[in-house]
Amino acid sequence: MEPVLAIRRVSKRFDGTQALDDVSLELYPGEVHTLLGENGAGKSTLIKIMTGIHQPDTGELLLDDKPISIANSAQAQHYGIAAIYQEPMVFPDLNVAENIFISHQNRGAIMRWGNLYRDADAILKRLGVTLDVRSPARGLTLAAQQTVEIAKALSLKTRVLIMDEPTASLSAHEVAQLFKLTRNLRDQGVAILFISHRLEEVFEISDRITIFRDGKRISTGLAHEYTIERAIRDMVGREMESFFHKTLSQPGDVVLSVRGLARQGVFEGVNFDLRAGEVLGFAGLVGSGRTDVALALFGIAPPDAGEIYFQGKRVNITSPEMATQLGIAYVPEDRRQHGLVMPFPIVSNISLPTLRRYINRIGLIDFDRERRTANEFRNRLKIRSESIATPAGKLSGGNQQKVVLSKWLNTRPKLLILDEPTRGIDVGAKSEVHAMINDLAQQGLAILMISSDLPEVLGMSDRILVMREGRQMGIFSRAETTQEVIMTAAMGQEAAS
Amino acid sequence: MQRAINGLKRWETLLFIIFIGTVLNNVAQSPAYLNPNNFINLFQLSIEKIIVAITMTFIIINGEIDLSVASIMGMAACIMARLYDVGVPLETGIVIALASGALAGAFNGFWVAVVGLPSLAVTLAGLVGYRGIARIMLEDRSIGGFPGWFNAFGQQPVLGSLTLGIVVFIILFLVGAIILHRSAFGRYVYAIGSNKEAAIYAGVRVQRVKMTLFIASGMVAALAGLLIAARFGAVRGNTADGFELDIVTMVLLGGVSIFGGSGTLVGVGLAILIILNLRNGMSLINITGNTQTLVIGVLLILSVLIPNWGRAVQTWIMRQRLRSAELAKGGER
Repeated sequence: MEPVLAIRRVSKRFDGTQALDDVSLELYPGEVHTLLGENGAGKSTLIKIMTGIHQPDTGELLLDDKPISIANSAQAQHYGIAAIYQEPMVFPDLNVAENIFISHQNRGAIMRWGNLYRDADAILKRLGVTLDVRSPARGLTLAAQQTVEIAKALSLKTRVLIMDEPTASLSAHEVAQLFKLTRNLRDQGVAILFISHRLEEVFEISDRITIFRDGKRISTGLAHEYTIERAIRDMVGREMESFFHKTLSQPGDVVLSVRGLARQGVFEGVNFDLRAGEVLGFAGLVGSGRTDVALALFGIAPPDAGEIYFQGKRVNITSPEMATQLGIAYVPEDRRQHGLVMPFPIVSNISLPTLRRYINRIGLIDFDRERRTANEFRNRLKIRSESIATPAGKLSGGNQQKVVLSKWLNTRPKLLILDEPTRGIDVGAKSEVHAMINDLAQQGLAILMISSDLPEVLGMSDRILVMREGRQMGIFSRAETTQEVIMTAAMGQEAAS
Repeated sequence: MQRAINGLKRWETLLFIIFIGTVLNNVAQSPAYLNPNNFINLFQLSIEKIIVAITMTFIIINGEIDLSVASIMGMAACIMARLYDVGVPLETGIVIALASGALAGAFNGFWVAVVGLPSLAVTLAGLVGYRGIARIMLEDRSIGGFPGWFNAFGQQPVLGSLTLGIVVFIILFLVGAIILHRSAFGRYVYAIGSNKEAAIYAGVRVQRVKMTLFIASGMVAALAGLLIAARFGAVRGNTADGFELDIVTMVLLGGVSIFGGSGTLVGVGLAILIILNLRNGMSLINITGNTQTLVIGVLLILSVLIPNWGRAVQTWIMRQRLRSAELAKGGER
């Protein structure tokens, strides 16, 4: 059998990061093909290339063995490639039938409502679902909205359907319904690329599985050739990479104590102590609430229950300004959005949280002092740039991260929260950042490190707190745990014995 | 950075060249042009808009817009005139009018900074609402007959041959440039305009900065409204009607990005000079007002297009380089 869509040796690079590295993948009609990988493995980039949002740097896409180039999503649709996401993208004020046919531009100049409703009904019947085609999309459940999206894809004669974590917000019953639908589509000859982090689901629905890691394809095979253990092994990588040695140190006083911390509907029951000189890793999947705990500690999204003690005192942190003054620094996950002002030069980025320290007697910025600080950090953290006047946006991911680190170290924190500190930076810069984290802990900083990179969490942390769906699953000490234990806790699997 | 600076400089250099060109043309047309009085006259004729352009520069760099300024100008002038008409001393009226401008600015600021509504919508409502207050105050009347000292402020020189409006402009421009380019507040204005989220994460008090800007904008607009009242010696409900678009035009032509985060007060100063001289020069060679407006419109489009072209060309070059590098690598395999 010929594949409908073949991806041949596709590579894609974003400044400094190799998101996809020489990746190939074939999708056959009538199969459910699951793409597995940790966060940042390159799954999203591949989807974006298939739907025309990104263009590959090299490599090609073949549809029915003919090379195609997909410049935008309209073209992807034209080729019969459609995607549905965790959050359905329906138009809430239009009704079900209008939503199904929203992309059809050639139904004539005049709306024939009778036809529209009849055709919409026919499509839903083909899917085996009952849904009032006249009801507005607004009132529908998430699952029903997804059904509408699938019907929409079907109405477009979709041949390749990408389902990006469609089950993430569904109940068990709704998942079962969705899977019935999915199999139905598969049996009609649609090629389905399925993405999910829930392994039990993956084994239930998939015909074939492909595993990505760090932008590379690690393995592809029939679903029954995989076990959960093998899948996890391929996803996280066996070898501990070339990690430097973590220096174990005697932790000092408790810097941060968290008791019963919760934020309605986001996370609950978070309890831990963090000592000076200690690195506490936060592991878990994206959306497990790790970042939300950090945002609560930093005053961006304050908690609504529980207690925070900082250096022995009960504190109520309501703004980043307050957190900074207490001695809490937060290096955010998304450098572009939250970490840096990209058009600003390195120097202004570093001084931004502490600008008030650089004011001279007449109330103006002391540029000399500001530059001196920036130069010190540039040397100390080995930021590679032409000068401190280089805009942050022109730096590679690793150097950008060093600027963010400089910016926060300059606030002289007692507690440093790092959110995915090495996401999207190359191997060299990564080990530099790791060495730096180690040094900072040695100097007595308390460090809370959120990371989806398991070898990193295991290599860097003294203890590891695992979260899953907003709940704390446990704290594991470095000595007594393995990647498999952490991943199993994060994914909600029974520990493999 | 060098390239970014160059990009910025390119637009300002271009502005400067256009400025020199217009001046040369004007000199060729009329030798009387270089007379300082002619220059002062030029300024004097649009001085109120020019003053408000300074606070508008701050607001747009901050990533917002204030469309209500012209209505606040009218409102402040009308409040002052009405109070004077009913027997309140003019000095008291002036203070109350300035306070009304600050209040109107604070009202705008509340919805934008605290509630988080888009400033385009909020200040559009302000444009309609404050103009409504102005018209209610005076209805169809025109109030004039202010004391001589007041009218003199608008018409007679107070410092050498400069009128009060020009002196106010020079002071505001210098103070504004220092605040914008040398103070922490100015740095925050740029940071918020470039990336509000990153500013929040860095502990910048975003609400306070935005609130301050809108209050300042309202107050400066009120002051400009009083200056226009003094210059004309009379106030009507439609005083300063429609000025907001001319003001925004000056700022954008000065190279300030409508998306916020970039631009300089020097650029805006140059843009003001160009608009004044261009209009003057075109009048000298008998080009009508409507055509003049068209020319300024074309310039405005260019001011947005040229930096974007620069960026597009850069990205294209980068892509080509990357592609050829990848191809070379592929060839080695």
